[in-house]
Amino acid sequence: MNSLRRHLCSVQRFSCRVHHIALLRTAWTCPNRTSSTGHAQDKSMVYVHQTGFTKPGLVPSLTPFGMKLMTYLRMVDIPYQYSKTFKLGPKGKIPWITYKGQPMGDSGLIMEFLNEEFGVDLDSQLSDKERAISRAFIKMLEENTYWGIGYDRWQENYSHLGQLFDVPSALQLFIFPTASRKVRQMLHAQGLGRHSTQEIHAIIQKDVWAASEFLGNKPYFMGEEPTAADPTVFGLFAEFLWTTPEHSHLYKLTNEQYPNIKDYCLRMKEQYWPDWDEVVGTKR
Amino acid sequence: VYYHAPPPVKAIPCLTPFGMKLETYLRMADIPYEPMYGRSMGPKGKIPWIEYNGEAMGDSGFIMEFLNREKGVDLNQTLSDADKAVGRAFTKMVEENTYWYEGYQLQYCKLHVDNFDQLQDLFELPWAVMFFLRSVRGKIRQTMWGHGLGRHSKDEQEGIIEKDLRAISSFLGTKPYLMGDEPTEVDAAVFGQLSELCWANHDSYLHRIVTVDCPNLQAYCSRIKDRYWSDWDQLTKKTKKDQ
Repeated sequence: MNSLRRHLCSVQRFSCRVHHIALLRTAWTCPNRTSSTGHAQDKSMVYVHQTGFTKPGLVPSLTPFGMKLMTYLRMVDIPYQYSKTFKLGPKGKIPWITYKGQPMGDSGLIMEFLNEEFGVDLDSQLSDKERAISRAFIKMLEENTYWGIGYDRWQENYSHLGQLFDVPSALQLFIFPTASRKVRQMLHAQGLGRHSTQEIHAIIQKDVWAASEFLGNKPYFMGEEPTAADPTVFGLFAEFLWTTPEHSHLYKLTNEQYPNIKDYCLRMKEQYWPDWDEVVGTKR
Repeated sequence: VYYHAPPPVKAIPCLTPFGMKLETYLRMADIPYEPMYGRSMGPKGKIPWIEYNGEAMGDSGFIMEFLNREKGVDLNQTLSDADKAVGRAFTKMVEENTYWYEGYQLQYCKLHVDNFDQLQDLFELPWAVMFFLRSVRGKIRQTMWGHGLGRHSKDEQEGIIEKDLRAISSFLGTKPYLMGDEPTEVDAAVFGQLSELCWANHDSYLHRIVTVDCPNLQAYCSRIKDRYWSDWDQLTKKTKKDQ
């Protein structure tokens, strides 16, 4: 695999032009354009934009934040429409939404906005202290554990990428090495990338242990009722369960070491994604 | 244990929250150490770092785990597993989310001309370093962009960090320490981050949150400072500037 990586990296020399195109794409943050599907937008509908590059049969979204956002919308019964687009959102992130013609980025800020707009609050039954704990876990999972996926998917199990992204193999030769290098830079900046593989595994394992320990036998993360933590927890671990190869450390953590997480994800999937097979199976 | 970190300044014994965290932990665990102040980076390009038995180690989290094993220390021994899990969640929140506020500060506030004097005064940085910091601002911005927090506007970032602080305050409540009556590992981490906000950021919006809006946070920081940092004043007075 190392020689394959080296070969792919040498192709990077020729990927400069593609890289520049990618830079143009990231600059293309579209404040005022309609979705690329071209249809007239219903002003009261939430349009969730993603790149739609996921291979059929996997997950509704390859980013845990996409899973999180769509699960949240289903939990609070806010109707949404999936919209495939190449454009990155106003913050250069995906997923992003358009609502009443306005684009918005960052799943957390989007959720806060929609909470206010639609008068919903998944945490209404929680005490202040429980909300605090919920926030701590959400932040741990989103700011730390999340990067474990970055490392596993783009560095450690690089060869598995072709199974995840529905991109023609010719393009893969250009896109994957560039994206992988970008993720590596981000990992280094964030801090996790400075550790050895073993150390990263240890860090992520502790996070997953903490989540599993706190979840215990509860039906939802915080207790008997679903709360705002559930989209994050489910969104993240869905990626662990269904987008990693069997030899991956993340797969083993959720499938073997901490089975209560797998059971939790299956429950969430059944409850909020009864149309899962339809959603992941069809080509969008 | 030879503890390597930047030297104390007038504002605070250590400018990096991870230094405050590690040193507080060493004091909580009664592990004798010798401070070796300097600006050299450790094995992972991070500070603080330690040398133990001739071996250099980086990353405060790993260092603490190593010393726990080596010295047979466990600050979390009175906690249930579920409480340990909550402790980890809070530790990671302050270290991976709230911590980036420092990057935001450097990016937006501190390197503006009107704050230069205050910054230089607090941190006792020579003019050359200030000049260098200015030029490094672009790199910091890039780092924050990559992390994600840097993509938000200043107000959004403040909002995010404010929620973190309020969450810590809610969870702490009237307890003396985060998990109960005795300090545990998460207190070292949270104190590490909050101490910077309490004592090294006087005019900022978040300083107001920690002192005025959530006074239990300031009380908590003072409590830990009084218990484990009785030599705080000595350390911060005896700095290069005064010598």
